[in-house]
Amino acid sequence: MGSTHEVISAFLDDEPFDSQELADALSDPIGRALLIDLIALRRIVQPGDAVPAISAPGPMRRPAWRPAAAAAVLLLALSAGYLVGERRTVASSPDAPPPTRIVQAVPFIPTGGSR
Amino acid sequence: MADPEGLFAAHHQRLFRYFCRAVGRAEAARDLTQEVFLRVSRSSIPAAADGEVSAWLFRIARNLVLDHHRDRLRHPEPTVPADQATRSPSQDVDLAVNEALASLPALDRDVFLMREVAGLGYDAIAGACELTSDAVRSRIHRTRLQLRDQLAAPIATTRTMAMCRSEKQR
Repeated sequence: MGSTHEVISAFLDDEPFDSQELADALSDPIGRALLIDLIALRRIVQPGDAVPAISAPGPMRRPAWRPAAAAAVLLLALSAGYLVGERRTVASSPDAPPPTRIVQAVPFIPTGGSR
Repeated sequence: MADPEGLFAAHHQRLFRYFCRAVGRAEAARDLTQEVFLRVSRSSIPAAADGEVSAWLFRIARNLVLDHHRDRLRHPEPTVPADQATRSPSQDVDLAVNEALASLPALDRDVFLMREVAGLGYDAIAGACELTSDAVRSRIHRTRLQLRDQLAAPIATTRTMAMCRSEKQR
């Protein structure tokens, strides 16, 4: 048997095969018995456990609320910064210092000087 | 189909089935399936045809199986043999299949399982296992012949049951 019946495996796997080679292999009772056994083998190797509910791992998920939450946090931070800044400006603005020198403004009187 | 969610939907069942037989335990298979997609989410998915993406995923899966077996060798888990009297016939077959698969060389086992339980084509298997398609074809056939000998009894039972069913239907 061996490689002479390899065409039966290819046929079983839906892979390209030579039809004449397959006809020759199946004209032999050994080849036919092999085909039946390989079908039975395929059946018994299937895992019996039903596929459990497997969830996609966490990092793959990008929730839709994330960008909205990021925008909200940014807006909150900017608003808070503005309010704090404004309050501090009002509360801590000192009075103007007293003048150290007073300059009297003298009205200008033209004296009719040279042209 | 280059997004992780799409890959997960398309491939998680076949990966789980492959892992079930490759490591022999459903819980470990579930963990390994999740690990594949965790790795996928951390890497850039190749923009390629579906078969090549399958090959890429199963290359990751195969490496995980090899790591798993290496870990088991280093830290063997105590196994509690199931009571032979209480085991069902299907559990007996399951055990025999797992033992037969465990006796195969790792590459033969993986090539066989990728075809038989995960349903990959020869080209995708060749990509996953770094072989040529012709080598995959020969290897699968050779492994089938070996398993046919090792699992002769359950194969004969399945064959008989199938014949009985077809007799009843006539």
